[in-house]
Amino acid sequence: MKTTLGVASTLIIMASIVVAEPSGTFRQAHEVGSGSGSSLDPISKGRVFQITEKVMSRLVRPDMEGRPSPDLAVSWSANEDATVWTLKLREGVTFHDGSTFGSEDVVYSLERVLDPEMDSPARSAIAMINTVEAIDEHTIQLTLDGSFADLPLLLMDYRLRMIPEDAGDTIATTGVGTGPFMVESFDAEGTTKLVANMDYFEGAPGVEKMEIIGITDGQARLQALLGGQIDMERGITAQQRVMLAGSDNFKVQTIPTGNWRGLIFRTDVEPFNDVRVRKALRMVADRQAMVDLVMGGGAVVACDSPVGPTDQYRAEMECPQDIEGAKALLAEAGFPDGLDIDLHVATLEPTWPVLAEVYQKHAAEAGIRINIVQVPSDGYWNEVWMQKDAVTTRWNERPADQALNEIYLSTAKWNESYYKDADFDAILSQARSELDFDARRALYVQAQEHLFDTAGTLIPYHVTRLVGTTARVNNLDAVENNAVRWNLITVD
Amino acid sequence: MLLRRLGLGAITVWLVSVIIFAGVEMLPGDACTAFLEREAKGKLLENCREDLGLNRSALTRYVDWAGSALQGDLGVSANGQKQISELVGYRLRNTLLLAFGAMVVGIPLALFLGVVAALWRDRPVDIFVSTSAIFAMTIPEFVSATLLILVFSVWLGWVPGIVLTSANAPLVEFFPEVLLPIGVLTLVMTAHILRTVRSSVIETLASDYAQMATLKGVPYWQIVFRHILPNALLPTINVVALTIAWLLGGVVVIETVFNYPGLGRMMIDSISDRDLPVTQAIALIIASVYVIVNLAADIMTMLANPRLRTVHLRQG
Repeated sequence: MKTTLGVASTLIIMASIVVAEPSGTFRQAHEVGSGSGSSLDPISKGRVFQITEKVMSRLVRPDMEGRPSPDLAVSWSANEDATVWTLKLREGVTFHDGSTFGSEDVVYSLERVLDPEMDSPARSAIAMINTVEAIDEHTIQLTLDGSFADLPLLLMDYRLRMIPEDAGDTIATTGVGTGPFMVESFDAEGTTKLVANMDYFEGAPGVEKMEIIGITDGQARLQALLGGQIDMERGITAQQRVMLAGSDNFKVQTIPTGNWRGLIFRTDVEPFNDVRVRKALRMVADRQAMVDLVMGGGAVVACDSPVGPTDQYRAEMECPQDIEGAKALLAEAGFPDGLDIDLHVATLEPTWPVLAEVYQKHAAEAGIRINIVQVPSDGYWNEVWMQKDAVTTRWNERPADQALNEIYLSTAKWNESYYKDADFDAILSQARSELDFDARRALYVQAQEHLFDTAGTLIPYHVTRLVGTTARVNNLDAVENNAVRWNLITVD
Repeated sequence: MLLRRLGLGAITVWLVSVIIFAGVEMLPGDACTAFLEREAKGKLLENCREDLGLNRSALTRYVDWAGSALQGDLGVSANGQKQISELVGYRLRNTLLLAFGAMVVGIPLALFLGVVAALWRDRPVDIFVSTSAIFAMTIPEFVSATLLILVFSVWLGWVPGIVLTSANAPLVEFFPEVLLPIGVLTLVMTAHILRTVRSSVIETLASDYAQMATLKGVPYWQIVFRHILPNALLPTINVVALTIAWLLGGVVVIETVFNYPGLGRMMIDSISDRDLPVTQAIALIIASVYVIVNLAADIMTMLANPRLRTVHLRQG
């Protein structure tokens, strides 16, 4: 009897120790978007972010409200005109390969992004950085080509992850970083295995292993979740949600995001070069109806601003449907009998055709005849987008400054509506150098209001993301990938 | 005769490679625009095309590719910089596993059911088998696949629904994940073959020599096994061959639905990546399989049927 009790108490003690240790395996799928070009290099086009986000750290990361918070940089400060930034780095951090993390690694990682030879798509996000200098072992200094008050926001970019100095040639397959998990084996099209990094600077993570599995077909990913073969699928549709909601085996998170879908009317061609026509085209939209019909209610109404509902710089605007106003504007612009528009739509984004059809109905009320032209998904970004006069588009969440600059600035590479407005450009550049938060916020709001008056892009809503997990998953932050603290997850 | 068939086969394979090359070339975009998507602009795009040698004319690229392919070198994939023979090898092996599993179960089952249905023609057993076969043939594969996943994986939880094993894992690791895809394939192929077997047996039953044997008083089962089956099964060899070729060619829909890492899924992925070398390599394999399996089937039919043999000998 005594021995049984002894064994039992030993078991209990052992069990309580085990609880503190990482345990279990968390499995998730990714869509193998880059095919055989998939890579662990965080700044390459083929980066599998579902892996890099778990094995590598950034300097600055978003907290649960999306504000900059320390990751590998513990504090930061700017000089008076925000042209020179000094960052203090975390001490005592080691990479997965055992080497110590220090300022030289940061200099190497950032210069690699900035190197034109690297062709990194992340380069445009931080192109304002002129030089990166190591002041001492744990301090770096960034010199910008102008004032930039929100640099920490940009350093949160999901691609700006720190790798060991001179690891550039091997990082694509090794994935060495300082994150809570380490790459055990990498196979983008099959299963990539990660193990807990016991030396992670915020303590050992909750799960012992992670498997990131390549499943290209969306339907197959849902089947895998339903069958309990994966634990999480991000971005399930409103229809699929019904299948999960009825079961105790699954949980669904609703996460407002800055991701948006929209219609573009090129501002440099007839008849959209008339600002009145553009405004009228956007006034006819009943945005709440679009949210309900296209997204099954899973979206937040937007007034043609690309800035997401959780962004601190979001302008709160009202934009109800206004058919009479639109008719009046069209008549004034010389189209009293309405006008005909060919809208190009592909199924690349499954909601585009539905959005286009709902818009067609709304526009018809103001005498605008929308002819929906179906085009192939293959080659859409090259043959249709930024080529045809009226097309569909989609963007993922970006910080306010980045979204406004990358999509609407006169000189922007991705200025998809060919929007050129000197006043708008001026507001943005003023905002960047404004160090006072409230004043800066006022400027960004003004920029969004300016877009609402003049832009050629109809942004009816920001998508709310649905994340389905199995019931065994705990402590998954209900935020976008970019901010999830993967080290906190546990599984039963 | 054999040489002529082989020659024709080679020409077929060559024509397929030309058609596939031209087909992929005609699709909008190339490997670089497929990879870079929205970033496919300016210098980024130029550098990428330079790296992959896409700046050369289509004809030059085809001749280059064909030249090395003739020497057995399939080249490297357009964007992964990996040896194609290595990439395709595992996929081919996995597709073989799938095909072999379906064949081992499906062919004997189809022969058995087909003969049973024919011998008990218009009886309940025949009606049941024939009706089921029509269902199995007409329901699209992705529907039956989804239904099987729902029943056996989601509801009953007996077998995993989706294949998560890596392409280059040892074959053993594909169990039990491979069972459901094999099940769906078996359904479809069994239905096709058994219908041919059934009608062929019925036809032979009505033939003069079968009636003659009956009239002579040969016991029923002896007629069936000695006279009916050998003659009835001959025409099914070609159907079986076609089915095998279909299986080996990578069953695109099934592999996609189950996320199975075989040739079919790789073909789809490589086409959407505009990865011409990989697409070409797979097309070559599939075309060769069709040619070889059909040739083998014809030879077998000929060996099994003395009448055909002599006809060809006289011609030759």
